[in-house]
Amino acid sequence: MKGLSVDLLLSELGSHDATSNHTRLMRDLLVDEGADVRIVVQFVTSDEPVTLLKDWKATANLTVLQHAIGSDIADRAIRERIPVVVNYHNVTPPELVEAWDADLISGLRWGRSQLDQLAPVARGGLAVSEFNARDMRSAGFGDVHVAPVLWTLPAAAEREHRLAPTNGGTVLFVGRVAPNKCHHDLIAAMAALGSRRPEAELVLVGSMASRRYERALRRLASRLGIGERVRFTGAVSGGELASWYERADVFACLSAHEGFCVPIIEAMHHGLPVVAHRAAAVPETVGDAALLLGDKAPATIAAALHRVLSDAELRESLRSAGYARAANFAGPVSRRTNIRALAGFLEAGR
Amino acid sequence: MPEKSFDINRIRAEIEADAETRRRQDPELARLERDIERAWIDVAPPGAAGDDPGELLLDRADRLALIDVDAPIGERRGVREVKGAIRKATYWYLRYVTDQMNAFSGVLTRLLRRMNERLDHVEHVVGIYRDDRELLDPPDAPSPATSAAIAREVGSGRTVVLSCGDGEVVAALDEAGGSAYGVDRDAVALLPGVERGLDLRTGDPRTHLVELETGSVDGLVLAGFVETLPVAMLVDLIDISLDRLAVGGRVVVAVADPGNRSPIEAELRQGRGISPETWAHLLERRGAAVSLVDSPGPRVTRLVIATTP
Repeated sequence: MKGLSVDLLLSELGSHDATSNHTRLMRDLLVDEGADVRIVVQFVTSDEPVTLLKDWKATANLTVLQHAIGSDIADRAIRERIPVVVNYHNVTPPELVEAWDADLISGLRWGRSQLDQLAPVARGGLAVSEFNARDMRSAGFGDVHVAPVLWTLPAAAEREHRLAPTNGGTVLFVGRVAPNKCHHDLIAAMAALGSRRPEAELVLVGSMASRRYERALRRLASRLGIGERVRFTGAVSGGELASWYERADVFACLSAHEGFCVPIIEAMHHGLPVVAHRAAAVPETVGDAALLLGDKAPATIAAALHRVLSDAELRESLRSAGYARAANFAGPVSRRTNIRALAGFLEAGR
Repeated sequence: MPEKSFDINRIRAEIEADAETRRRQDPELARLERDIERAWIDVAPPGAAGDDPGELLLDRADRLALIDVDAPIGERRGVREVKGAIRKATYWYLRYVTDQMNAFSGVLTRLLRRMNERLDHVEHVVGIYRDDRELLDPPDAPSPATSAAIAREVGSGRTVVLSCGDGEVVAALDEAGGSAYGVDRDAVALLPGVERGLDLRTGDPRTHLVELETGSVDGLVLAGFVETLPVAMLVDLIDISLDRLAVGGRVVVAVADPGNRSPIEAELRQGRGISPETWAHLLERRGAAVSLVDSPGPRVTRLVIATTP
């Protein structure tokens, strides 16, 4: 890629979110390969060197658009028929949030519609999971490659064999408080777990994407008599997040929709056993390294949590399988898959 | 990578069977699950709680239908008095309007309830959504001899067995060199098969079939649950099954002939399930090449084999 130029487009370069981190790592990878790389944003939210969308001209050999929600930047690619490679992180189906949040839904509808409009313009698609690739193909994308989200191992030592949980156990979920993440199913499972583990607690880490949903969750926990055992931390720093991964006993994800779910991989890296619902891209992300359930009924999830919390051998098996899975995503295979796909697009465009 | 002793499928099956056993043995747990569902419907906005059970949604509609004219005035001194005065001044007018709206909403919710009752009655008579598991055991899974016959007809390739029970058919298909997995609603029934190392999954067979991608499997075995569905749903199921098969794929239908049912089963399953001949007729009408072959029984005495064009 020496001497070639690549522009990476996204709305804003945030500090924590998976799409921003992925873009930074993609930039580093391309620079390592000798490419001349610019990150182009509409909104500046950090001190990092970026090019503003209003000053940008599409002159690079390859332009990669990160797409996860409706954006002006995607509109410009559509309007000017710029042959971008769409790196798709998935847009939550609006029907999953439509009863909750009118503000959120417009961005999602916009994003879905842009995916359809990008298909005839784009040079191709790069999906972070096969689940996302199916979305792209049904939107009309012809040339779609799958390459996982780029991710670096946080500075956490591999956790050795954990002691039995104290105080009933701490169940952790990390993700924006939004209806598609189904925090309410976690609260329901905790209520069912109460008869076996009355002191178990649920920790929900993540920013409040939907205040209405958050209020309903607090009322649900209170109605079920477990308000004291459900903790909402809000957005946290990287250090606090690592600390929650260290303190928790099991990570549970019951999301109805995930395009990849980086927190699952982070939890695995921190040695947490993972219990998850078989939905969207989650089965691809966890592989055989998590307890994957097709049924979200409170009694079933409670039985799974109880089993993991009380079976030391199972915890250890999940811990070691999860650690290997996380290392696999963070390793050279992931980077090579992304680079190979981008190089293919560059080759095809010459 | 996972250690050798770490069989995640077996653990999952044990957990699902544990939950199901507890649900059957402990009515309190079943009640708690209903209470949790009701609590969520109560706090979530209308339509946000997924497949709301009709009765809970109607309760909610009843409560939301009533517009309260006594607006809250709060407790802050000064503000409270001002709000109170506004409320008093506008009361006669708001009351006049809300009385009419409440009367209209009351009529609508009564109408909704009556429609719901009539729909329930129609569905019960037609038998569309009747769940007869409390009245009758589900049909037995195919015997080992029938399972072997099914495996011979399906051939190799990726096959899904719908209503797999403890996995006899899946085991026979695996032994014949194919790659098969099974789906069954009964987590307890399939546990012995999972412990044998078979790929058996808990779930609703029909939902699983619907969620498969077009052309994604080489073989489908339809057993058990299809004997409990009414004809209209079976016709849909045939279309879906043929769509999910790859070109040249095969559907094998392993069902007992409703004409051979005991009087109890015949009466309780009236209008549900069809004979192998009718399966063959419907599959042919949809363009499949169909044959009927003898099966060792005891329940299933003929298999319907349909190959996609």
